[in-house]
Amino acid sequence: MKRPDRSQLITLLGYAGAAAIYITIGVLTTDFLLSVFVAAAFLLVTVWVVPAIVRRIV
Amino acid sequence: MSWAAHDLEPYAIQRHSRLKIAFVPLLLGSYAPDLMTKWYVYGVHLGPWKLKASEPAQFHRGWPGLGFTHSFLYGAVVCLIFWKVLGSKNWGVSFMIGQWAHALTDAGDTVGTMLLFPWTHHFAVGAWAYAGQTGRSTDAAAYFSGLGGMWDLVWIVYGFYSWRVLTRGYFEQRVFTADGFWRIANKAVPMTALLVFYRAEFFYGTSRWIAWTIWAHVVHDYPYDLSWGGPHWVHAAHS
Repeated sequence: MKRPDRSQLITLLGYAGAAAIYITIGVLTTDFLLSVFVAAAFLLVTVWVVPAIVRRIV
Repeated sequence: MSWAAHDLEPYAIQRHSRLKIAFVPLLLGSYAPDLMTKWYVYGVHLGPWKLKASEPAQFHRGWPGLGFTHSFLYGAVVCLIFWKVLGSKNWGVSFMIGQWAHALTDAGDTVGTMLLFPWTHHFAVGAWAYAGQTGRSTDAAAYFSGLGGMWDLVWIVYGFYSWRVLTRGYFEQRVFTADGFWRIANKAVPMTALLVFYRAEFFYGTSRWIAWTIWAHVVHDYPYDLSWGGPHWVHAAHS
């Protein structure tokens, strides 16, 4: 099985970080876990919007 | 009923199908039966009123009720609407495959599904307890304590094993090119955001599986019961 390269691992880390935040919020407030639309919006913000803003600032 | 499996199965289907599959309708099909029904199974508050099925399992899976949404016929009818009315065979077939996967997966619990509706016989494997009638929290606790949660875990592990379906290369070569929806969306939304949207359902299925498991077994103390038809500490509905 082919292993992921460095850039793919960095991407995975970003998603894992987003998942850790999502899971923490979800465990504390289970209503947060009920909608795929909320999850998709959360993911868009955490792995696309925020990094794009940070890149623009830095 | 199943929880995360419906988020995760489309990735496996996408990978293994030899047909040209459109991911968005595949996903819609995978969600469709519960989009129509689950809100009323658990109940919703509308101002001072609570709307809730008096017999949730009957409403969700039975007839009379909306159990036909978990049948092969329902997927076929919507497929024909996409194909003959809206002019997209690809969307029709993809929706049908997703909806059939949902109906087959839900046949794993103790209520089962009327796969061959209008024949109202319930096909029920009975591997895990159907507990939708107990409310969302108890249902989640039961589901993530029995074989249903383990069935979801199979799809999560398989998804990570097939990690290449989640890569940008796979998305651009196989998913984006299979469906004009992505080209149209790409006029307004960058490719990176579309890729995030494509990955979002895998993220959702996996993350909520972990979150509900922590909620049920760390925050609370619901016992695991991986016996057939379990967990037996919850009152399971049967067909």
